[in-house]
Amino acid sequence: MRPDPDLIGLLGGCRVVVVAGAGGVGKTTLSAAIALGLAARGARVAVVTIDPARRLATALGIPQLGDEPHPVDPERIRGAGVAMAGTLDALHLDPRATFDRLIAREAPDAAARDRILRNRIYHHLAGAVAGAQEFMAVERLHELVDAGDYDVVVLDTPPARNALDFLDAPERMTRFVEGRGLRLLLGPRAGAGRAGWRAMQVGGHIVMSAVSRLTGTQLLTDISEFLQSFDGMYQGFSQRASAVGSLLASDSTRFVIVTGPRAEPAREAALLWQRLRDEHYPVGALVVNRVHDVPGGDGLPPDGLAALLREAGAADPEGLADRAAEALAAARARAAADRHAVRAVASALGNPPMAIVPALDDDPVEVAGLARVMRELEGTHDATGQRGP
Amino acid sequence: MDGPPLTHRRLAFIIGKGGVGKTTVAAALALGLSDAGHRTLLLEVASQTRTDALFGVAPSTVAPIEVRPDLFAMSIDAERATEEYLAAQLKVRPLVEMMARSRAFHQVTQAAPGLSALVTIGKIWDLATSVRDGRPVWDRLVVDAPATGHAVALLEVASSVRDIAGSGPVRDHADAIAKVIRHPDATGVVVVAVPEDLAVTEAIEAIAALRARWLPVTCAVVNEVRHSPFGPADEVALRAASGAPDARAADRAAIGAARAVWAAARHDDREVAGLARECRVPVAVLPHVPDLSPGSGGLEALSAALMADAAIGGVRAP
Repeated sequence: MRPDPDLIGLLGGCRVVVVAGAGGVGKTTLSAAIALGLAARGARVAVVTIDPARRLATALGIPQLGDEPHPVDPERIRGAGVAMAGTLDALHLDPRATFDRLIAREAPDAAARDRILRNRIYHHLAGAVAGAQEFMAVERLHELVDAGDYDVVVLDTPPARNALDFLDAPERMTRFVEGRGLRLLLGPRAGAGRAGWRAMQVGGHIVMSAVSRLTGTQLLTDISEFLQSFDGMYQGFSQRASAVGSLLASDSTRFVIVTGPRAEPAREAALLWQRLRDEHYPVGALVVNRVHDVPGGDGLPPDGLAALLREAGAADPEGLADRAAEALAAARARAAADRHAVRAVASALGNPPMAIVPALDDDPVEVAGLARVMRELEGTHDATGQRGP
Repeated sequence: MDGPPLTHRRLAFIIGKGGVGKTTVAAALALGLSDAGHRTLLLEVASQTRTDALFGVAPSTVAPIEVRPDLFAMSIDAERATEEYLAAQLKVRPLVEMMARSRAFHQVTQAAPGLSALVTIGKIWDLATSVRDGRPVWDRLVVDAPATGHAVALLEVASSVRDIAGSGPVRDHADAIAKVIRHPDATGVVVVAVPEDLAVTEAIEAIAALRARWLPVTCAVVNEVRHSPFGPADEVALRAASGAPDARAADRAAIGAARAVWAAARHDDREVAGLARECRVPVAVLPHVPDLSPGSGGLEALSAALMADAAIGGVRAP
């Protein structure tokens, strides 16, 4: 059943690879493995990771703070048996730093910039603006592509209850900055001159004076200032959001959907795939991660085991042989269930190009582990087919 | 760790990385608490209705629905909660109706930073403190929180608003919420992980972040921990037998499968021990239960395992 396409080859020549899927399926690891594979073949690659495990971050050489790209030590990569023709940089998304830079760039002047950056609402609650984290992920992607230092940028997507949140984020963010309704309610001058809006504004004043009885005037003033300070930035934000949208939809972008051999993430993968297809995003490939291998053997019962174990000095060879036979039966059943789940998700998605990554004994948090995942994505897993002890 | 065991606290928040089984752990805890005789409310946020798949009854965003004896489920919708809050506070019906109809109002509720988190936590607080006939309506509330970063924002928003609001009823309300959320007699935060490096790392970082914000981390739960029926002596014999030249393919496969089970259990034990060592919280351990659908008995088994764990019941971890 192994499809064995060369997924890394399939993604060659792309400028952007977006790795998406439900939480807990291994998106961060796969992003790093894809980036490693593209770099090995000669591309200058940056991978944007979101909350990488500490050991993975250490392996990639990502410092704890800051969101600037750092080169992954080529010695480590060579040490893992990977010949590098290109370069690999890694960075950790810091939504706040990205937001700060975006405001610095879009603010009409230094005073407007400082008004926002010093605002107490921004300081405490910028992260709570709907869609902010997801928007900052795609914004950072755009920055890196724009800067032109890389042939390809691989983006890990943020954790969300809904894997599609980041697609809507640019629009939600624009709506927030536009904030027409908000400014009507909060800013007496905004929206003036249009009769319909003015009528709403009268209602707005009644509503807001009622609300201010609850919030106190200071909180409302702060919120009002915060929102008004985005005045004059709407056009910049809106252009940015549409540029990010075009980048995600462009021919040189590929989405890689990651799932596991279980019902819940597979359902989410199918929904994500469908939506990407419906909205004409360039879907590239499916990766099913952590699939259990068939344990080997010829399907016969392990009849000679008790004798072998007796020779090996086991205290209770029959009992141990029974338990080992049960372990084998369970491993066969699990492998069969996983293969069934892989077939189900592949068929639900219309049998796209697919890579299967086996469940590894150790979490791939070192460069060597990433290299192993990379080889699975290339369809060049070791020839014996035997994995595990 | 200060304060009473988790089962004695009125309000429990279940947080963790995406995909670790927060909903399952929340449902298992809520089921265990209701079985122990507590009138329990299981809450989902952001209009999620994942408990549907576990109980076969979709929770409503309007009112709690009884899904098992003494166990109720509800999903909180921020916009509805905002309207309810304003209706209760303003007490002027035409004004509230005008707001609910206003497009501008809906834009405010969607865009105002932190508002949806604030009204969500406010609604939870409201349910947790509601009293009827002189006694609490709910003995226990279990919140199936969003993924870690969003969950920390949810737990923190009341104190942020209190700190920036100056004065007024919202400030006082936020203060009251923050006090309950941070009080270790009232609230317990449970961090869920699976025995994998990434999830354990995130749990360790989440616990540090929660403690830095004075949020009462009570225990951790490691879900889907693999168990081995093999001991060290078995491993020695299996390893010795694996080298036998006359072993048949099926025998080799069985030895391989048994040793993989042993290695997996050791791996998971190390992850659990690492979490306990780094965070110094009691750690409860749950097995992987393949079928959790209603009627399968899977959730009931998981709930029994959770409630029997010393980390949940209050005996300190060694």
